[in-house]
Amino acid sequence: MNLELSLFSILLVPFAAAGLALIHQGLGRSRSAAHAMLASLCALAVSAIVFVLLGSAWAGSVGAATHSFTLGGAHWDWLGASPFFAHGISFDGSDAAGLGRSLVLCLELFAAGLVAIIPLSAGADRWRLGPICLSSALLGGLIFPIFAHWAWGGGWLAQLASNFGIPNFTDAGGAGTVQVVGGLAALSVAWIAGPRRGKYSDEGIPAAIPGHNIVLVLFGCLLALVGWTGLDSAASILFYGAGPQQVVGVAINALLSASAGCLVAVFVTRSRYHKPDASLSANGWIAGLVAGSASCAMVSPLAAIGIGAIAGGLATFTIEVFELRLRVDDPGGAVSVHALAGIWGLIALGLFGHFSGGTRGGHILAQVVGISALLGFMLPLVHAGNLLLNRWSTYRVDDDGHWHGMDVRELGAGAYPEFVIHADEFVPR
Amino acid sequence: MKLVACVLLLSGFFLVLTALVLLTSLAQRSAFVGAGFGVEILGLSLLTQSYRSIRKEHR
Repeated sequence: MNLELSLFSILLVPFAAAGLALIHQGLGRSRSAAHAMLASLCALAVSAIVFVLLGSAWAGSVGAATHSFTLGGAHWDWLGASPFFAHGISFDGSDAAGLGRSLVLCLELFAAGLVAIIPLSAGADRWRLGPICLSSALLGGLIFPIFAHWAWGGGWLAQLASNFGIPNFTDAGGAGTVQVVGGLAALSVAWIAGPRRGKYSDEGIPAAIPGHNIVLVLFGCLLALVGWTGLDSAASILFYGAGPQQVVGVAINALLSASAGCLVAVFVTRSRYHKPDASLSANGWIAGLVAGSASCAMVSPLAAIGIGAIAGGLATFTIEVFELRLRVDDPGGAVSVHALAGIWGLIALGLFGHFSGGTRGGHILAQVVGISALLGFMLPLVHAGNLLLNRWSTYRVDDDGHWHGMDVRELGAGAYPEFVIHADEFVPR
Repeated sequence: MKLVACVLLLSGFFLVLTALVLLTSLAQRSAFVGAGFGVEILGLSLLTQSYRSIRKEHR
């Protein structure tokens, strides 16, 4: 295992958090811009601390202690049982195993932060800061560690071959572990917080509430590319033993899938609206990155282009379906971009991935088992957790907050004090 | 309705697990895993439908 390369890759991951934070604040309203950026910082901070205190113990790592039982002749490894507070991981360089575990901890720390940042997009302009911190603690301390253990920490999804004779579930860059988990949390938040005031008329017709700074959104896409390349590379090295040559392939595939996703979104929006839509094209770029991350080191560049292209088209169409038909007000498109594109990426790995053993059908089956765990177990878990937290501390800001904006309501000052504020056309007086 | 939807999601997941434990051939497993996945989609649809109606205070 190339530890220096994995460390370098891990240090790129915060760029993904920075990119997502810029995208979220740019796609929201100007009156909530500072709140959106502070929420991203708080989500990262809370999830990082809670992950190290609690989550890292449950995420565990391959070869570490686990909570498990035997049923039906199979060994069910459900949860890590490492010491809390990251005890037992040495940072003094005294043993090689300690270095590997500390790198896994470092990568999962940033990954937990990404999972906590993703739902902010769905709750933009109405999700209060206190509940954001609570939800981030839930994601970093419990939700993410459970699935990280199953897929990356030697849990039951990583033992399908030894237990059931089908290939192991594979998630080389965190499409399921990070993106789908975060995207499903975003769906839960959008449901609980409800649509922004003025988004839907009495007849259910949605109003367009455009993002306030598309330049920052597009810059965030470029930053996200750097971060995603780091995340995909580091996860491929640490959990699937990728070498330097495969890491080069990861970087190439990440750019290709993002490019294909963006170009398809540009083409689709241009053909439908006569001009390309910048925000949907940005969503296509991120959807390409998300879908490509599952199979980053395991597909050819041509397949990466195809995976990204389908993800870009999928995101473009489903964002509209969520907004128009399902009445899910998700200003940043997190559900389509992270959850649906991530699920497509996991399936695409089964369809197009290069594997050393196992049948194609077996690999597809293993990926479907992993997706069913995400939808059938992680979604109810994260939704139940969010409903409980919402009872304790209401997610949605009050009507006064909707009128004044999250910046003034929660922070006491706007992000752009020298801007002239025009009458709001979206919020009824 | 929301509770029923969540129960359906969990039921689909346990159907998938049961298929892995009880069945051996790839074809049988694929069929039952597909059925479990279908139950999950049903639960997800129900959950989506339950949140589709816009509450008056959110307009």
